[in-house]
Amino acid sequence: MTVTLKEMNGKKIMALAGEIDMSASPLLRKELMALVKKKTDPLLIDFENVSYIDSSGIATFVEGLKGMMAFGGKLKLAGMPSGVKEIFSFSKLDRVFEIYGSIDDAINS
Amino acid sequence: MTEMEDAIKVNNLVTHYGDRVILKSISFAVPRGQTTVILGGSGCGKSTLLKHLIGLLRPTSGQILINNGNIAAMNEGELDEIRKKMGVLFQGAALLNSMTLADNVALPLREHTKLEDSTIQIMVRMKLDLVGLSGFEHFFPSQLSGGMKKRAGLARAMALDPEFLFFDEPSAGLDPVTAAGLDKLILKLRDVFKMTIVVVTHELPSVFMIADYVIMLDLGDVVFAGTLDELRISEHPRVRMFLERRPETEVYSPEDYFRFIAGD
Ligand SMILES: Nc1ncnc2c1ncn2[C@@H]1O[C@H](COP(=O)(O)OP(=O)(O)OP(=O)(O)O)[C@@H](O)[C@H]1O
Ligand SMILES: [Mg+2]
Repeated sequence: MTVTLKEMNGKKIMALAGEIDMSASPLLRKELMALVKKKTDPLLIDFENVSYIDSSGIATFVEGLKGMMAFGGKLKLAGMPSGVKEIFSFSKLDRVFEIYGSIDDAINS
Repeated sequence: MTEMEDAIKVNNLVTHYGDRVILKSISFAVPRGQTTVILGGSGCGKSTLLKHLIGLLRPTSGQILINNGNIAAMNEGELDEIRKKMGVLFQGAALLNSMTLADNVALPLREHTKLEDSTIQIMVRMKLDLVGLSGFEHFFPSQLSGGMKKRAGLARAMALDPEFLFFDEPSAGLDPVTAAGLDKLILKLRDVFKMTIVVVTHELPSVFMIADYVIMLDLGDVVFAGTLDELRISEHPRVRMFLERRPETEVYSPEDYFRFIAGD
């Protein structure tokens, strides 16, 4: 997994690529929680190039969302391929996270 | 179903306990992302086979290819790596009685990953929820029913999001409703996580509910390997006996029986 930080229209985007698995999640957590700590709002996550996410990745986003909610910030997940979306849906979390079809939708939201 | 790719291939597997041959040169394949059920009479070697598939026992000869690597020829270090991809639920659920359910499920994560404990706690609650044990994190195994223990064992088997799940008679000792619930869960795991699942079971309803592919053992040989539809129309006498729930025909002649009980 690789993490790239960008900014578009003044909005911070964390773009992820590759597999978010148990060996990648500690790095994801570090990057994500650093942005949460800085109260980055909104924080957009681009999933377009994510091929796989496991339960450690989902759990890391749960931690991230908890952190965002603590200060009223918005965490927006965007561009999930269907396999990744299915895993979020399976855990019923698709109704808790703000999920957008594409990163542009998330930017314009 | 899409094209079949083999996740596991067994070639000419021979196993013994001491001098006694248990599996006599068997060969079969397990398709990826599907549920394979292993059938066969008591004592025919199903559990023994499963223990070979997870690298717990070494064969006398033959190959066991998991993702194309021959685990029969691997050293312990290589086996440890491949075992992280395998979740196993055996005939006793094998939970550690001195630990809460949460700690039982967290154990493999603490041993094999560098995840923060806060992340692990969330994962543990996700896994327990998946098996219908939300709210039981702080219970000890002794405080659970048999079916709950089984489900807790499954939560632990899934801790590392394995690619493979192996079950040895998961529904033994469960009431029919709980057993059907477990079957549904197995199908969910196959469909959502694309897991390759191998289940030893005697339960006919369960076979028809979960199996995509069936392997039947008898007297140390594979007597049937094929899809569920092929099983239904198979003419093999052992298959017919199983499907029609016919009892074992008499093994002994009256003379042999007399000699056996008389102790000569
Ligand atoms: N550790 C062992 N040492 C010696 N013999 C064993 C051992 N474990 C099993 N066996 C023998 O190997 C044969 C196969 O046993 P196994 O447990 O694989 O059968 P099974 O098909 O799983 O039976 P069941 O349906 O009753 O669970 C049996 O005859 C058994 O007596
Ligand atoms: Mg057995």
